[in-house]
Amino acid sequence: MSKLYKILLKQHIGAVNKPVISVGDFVRKGTLIAEPSGLGANIHSSIDGRVKEIDKDAIFIEADKVQREGFQSLDNTGSIIDTIKAAGIVGMGGAGFPTHVKLNVHLNGGVVIANAVECEPLLVHNMKQIIEAPELIYKGLCYAMEASNAKRGVFAIKAKNKEAIAALQKVIKKDNIQIAELPDMYPMGEERAIIREVLGQLLAPDQLPSAADAVVLNVETLSRITEAIEQKRPVISKNITIVGKLKSGIESKAFMDVPIGTTVRELIEAAGGIDGEYGEIIMGGPFTGVSVDIDQAITKTSGGIIVTMPFMKEKRRMGLLVCACGANEQRLREIAAKMGASIAGVEKCKQAVEIKGSLKCEDPGNCPGQAEKVLKLKKDGAEVLLISNCSDCTNTVMCVAPKLKMPIYHCTDHAMRTVNHSLIRRLK
Amino acid sequence: MSITKESANQHKNDPAIVCCRTTKGTVISPSDLEDPAILPDLEESGLVTIPENVLKIGQVIGAKLLKDIDGLTPITADLLEGIIEEKKEKSNVENGGNKVEKVSGNKEATFSGGFVRLSVDQMNGVNLEFPVEVLNSGLIKASSQAPAGKVEKIEDETVNTLKRREFAVKKVELGKETSFKNGVLVIREALCKEALKADPLTKKIEMDIITPDNRHQYSNTIMDVIPIAAKVEGGLGNGITNIMNDVVFILTGLDENGLQVHEFGSCEGYLDEKISYGKPGCPDQKDIMVRVHVTIAANTGMERRGPYAAHKACDVIIQEIREVLKKASASEAVKEEVCNEVVRHGRPRVVLVKEIMGQGAMHDNVMLPTEPAGVLGGRQNVDLGNVPVVLSANEVRDGGIHALTCIGPASKEDTRHYFREPLLEAMANDEEINLVGVVFIGSPQVNDEKTFVAKRLGTLAGTMNIEGAIVTTEGFGNNHIDFALNIEEIGKRGINVVGVTYAAYQGQLVVGNQYMDAMIEVNKDAGGFESEILGENTICPEDADRAVLMLKTKMAGIPIEAADRKWDNAVIQANQKLVK
Repeated sequence: MSKLYKILLKQHIGAVNKPVISVGDFVRKGTLIAEPSGLGANIHSSIDGRVKEIDKDAIFIEADKVQREGFQSLDNTGSIIDTIKAAGIVGMGGAGFPTHVKLNVHLNGGVVIANAVECEPLLVHNMKQIIEAPELIYKGLCYAMEASNAKRGVFAIKAKNKEAIAALQKVIKKDNIQIAELPDMYPMGEERAIIREVLGQLLAPDQLPSAADAVVLNVETLSRITEAIEQKRPVISKNITIVGKLKSGIESKAFMDVPIGTTVRELIEAAGGIDGEYGEIIMGGPFTGVSVDIDQAITKTSGGIIVTMPFMKEKRRMGLLVCACGANEQRLREIAAKMGASIAGVEKCKQAVEIKGSLKCEDPGNCPGQAEKVLKLKKDGAEVLLISNCSDCTNTVMCVAPKLKMPIYHCTDHAMRTVNHSLIRRLK
Repeated sequence: MSITKESANQHKNDPAIVCCRTTKGTVISPSDLEDPAILPDLEESGLVTIPENVLKIGQVIGAKLLKDIDGLTPITADLLEGIIEEKKEKSNVENGGNKVEKVSGNKEATFSGGFVRLSVDQMNGVNLEFPVEVLNSGLIKASSQAPAGKVEKIEDETVNTLKRREFAVKKVELGKETSFKNGVLVIREALCKEALKADPLTKKIEMDIITPDNRHQYSNTIMDVIPIAAKVEGGLGNGITNIMNDVVFILTGLDENGLQVHEFGSCEGYLDEKISYGKPGCPDQKDIMVRVHVTIAANTGMERRGPYAAHKACDVIIQEIREVLKKASASEAVKEEVCNEVVRHGRPRVVLVKEIMGQGAMHDNVMLPTEPAGVLGGRQNVDLGNVPVVLSANEVRDGGIHALTCIGPASKEDTRHYFREPLLEAMANDEEINLVGVVFIGSPQVNDEKTFVAKRLGTLAGTMNIEGAIVTTEGFGNNHIDFALNIEEIGKRGINVVGVTYAAYQGQLVVGNQYMDAMIEVNKDAGGFESEILGENTICPEDADRAVLMLKTKMAGIPIEAADRKWDNAVIQANQKLVK
């Protein structure tokens, strides 16, 4: 039987797309198969094949045994923005905001920032792309600056990624594009953290980068802009990092241009398969990823696939400290349940404020102090803590909880332990 | 927790401790500092040891850090660049220099145009702050709009009177017929049987007389202390009421299985040991006690109907005494007192809010019975949904509340307590305030209902045009949730609130809010416990005086010093000294 690709009708922020093909139709790689019905982005087929089924969530395409070279290129292209829109480009760092909407601003001589921070630990596909194809990203930045009337461009990248920085330096030809080197702290890649670090302006949690005359775009998004403009190529594939308890070893492996609709299972098998017992499969990074079923399909916003070791068991009563920068309360509760712990109390970092249903940090990566919250959880009967804080806040918790004889788990622990990565604890 | 600029200014003399890891070169700002309000918690839990040479918040703001330091590190001079050395200020407390000596309102002037006179021997570094409203509503308005007639004249207007005739009782005995002659009260013994008809849940009633010299007697937990009073003329709160002095009813109960009724904390034991004699809600030292002991149906002691049945039965007995008391000749009265209900025009309108138990089970109160401190004809506040009900001062004085309260004996306010509530008297008799009424609000079981009634109270207070309120509660724990809500709802309408409760050690407040900044502690137990001695931790006249002074202080805009973290009786004693 030929392979079935499940292409989700919602791979972006906004509404569910409307299919524009019917069951039985033959499609090519790159054929437009669904259009937005509101805020959203076009979705194209990632393979050659026949539409087998359409339901409210997805289009299922049965792949042809022989996949032809090339793809159906974009038509209806015009301006940069029109091309980006036609190509269905969305924020590929994980947020999934439609790029043609984001770039449809007049930045008054402002700045486009290429987010090359890749701040979730274990993920490597952005750095690999920068090292192997910096030109594609650099050109994307130039197009984005042109589209938004920006005077400046900045690559925001962690100082530790020396090879990637060198690769970028080689391709930068304009004086108005610079590299900003950032410290190795989580969450430096958060949009508002980047703007604060690069431009020295701290935005309110409900403000968009445009308030600072800035647009922030992930490096892969930028490369897709170049592909759309120069090759008329729609978004039909995604770069993915696979890491964890795999037979091929625990090092992170980047898979470039994985067709959208490929399942997690296929990718794991391609990476050598799961090595024995495992805890869960995380889609995304250790901090903000979510647990997924092994048959989940890759979308435009997928980034990491982490196969974790089995959960550590914890019988003591657990206090949850929820942070805007890491796992949310629901995710922490899930981890606590998987560890077998009962929950004594839940506290939220003082700086975490709710914006449109999710938490945002008022000053990402700068701790407001956690002693009061930890004391409150202890008072509520917590014997151990499970936290989802950023590097700086975690450090503060480490200044407090051990003195209270409260062991700490971090929401990233099971992912980090799996690959022998140092745990998120005290800052060195 | 990092703090705001305002908070840093407020706490400029408190120790400076970084809340989180702070790196070399950082110019210290409030967001780097831990909230001084939680420092005691941090110290107590061993998280922080504050060295003697720690700098104050006011000294570190704006200074540059010389090296990386971790979270919760106290800032000392060696960590900073360019720190100004602390100058020791000379204390002149001894000669009274820093103390405000006297704050007095000028009674001769009209209130809204009045003066606040501060007379201070010596002053330095004094920072006077007035709420803008004081100027707007007072001085400025009064002078600019003086002819508008907004200024109320200082005047006392008596709107209602209640005459109380007191009769001395020398002896009480059980006999064949109820009578009251020559100071001798005879109670018909057969009433014990007849009173069973009051409610089918009452199974057995016993009655005995306990004279002051014979109090070393065992007793079941005391459900209530009930005065004997009867209407002669008028309704509750007006006309004439006859009262028997030197005698009081005490009600105790068991269910058929031998379980104590009202036993949420019990004062079961010897009567000479388990009663704080002389408290407003207790028998006085010379009082004869008529003890009525009721056995109610099995397993009804923890429901509303069981204890209520016992109270009804006891009321049947007292009612027969009331009938003879009504006929007592006025000439035999040992004392006649006229209670005036006075509207004190031109002085700040204030209200007394009394939280009463209304959780159902045995927690209930009967309001406005037909006879003083009676049961018949009254409404139960649980049936009324615990919503606030306003009584006039005289309605309360005339036995408007019959308590079915069971919470801890030391802090429960029984029927006699309401009959001679010292806080009501203190507020009614204070010529500087205008007591407009007494609000009784129930403490419901469910949190949603607590919020509902508290909001009704807030709205009611908002319509009363009051400047101040004293909120009291009995018991501790669950009812403190109501207590906090009630104070908040009144306080957020800009009304000055003083809270009065037993909290101390065992009853520490479980919740709080910004409006709970003026609190009166009524604990009398040395260890701060619910001592299980009847009435020990209830409001007595000294507490009432402190509460009234606290309210007047708050209304005058004088800041009230924050309470210590831990209950300390010394604070109460120090405050008591401030009350003349």
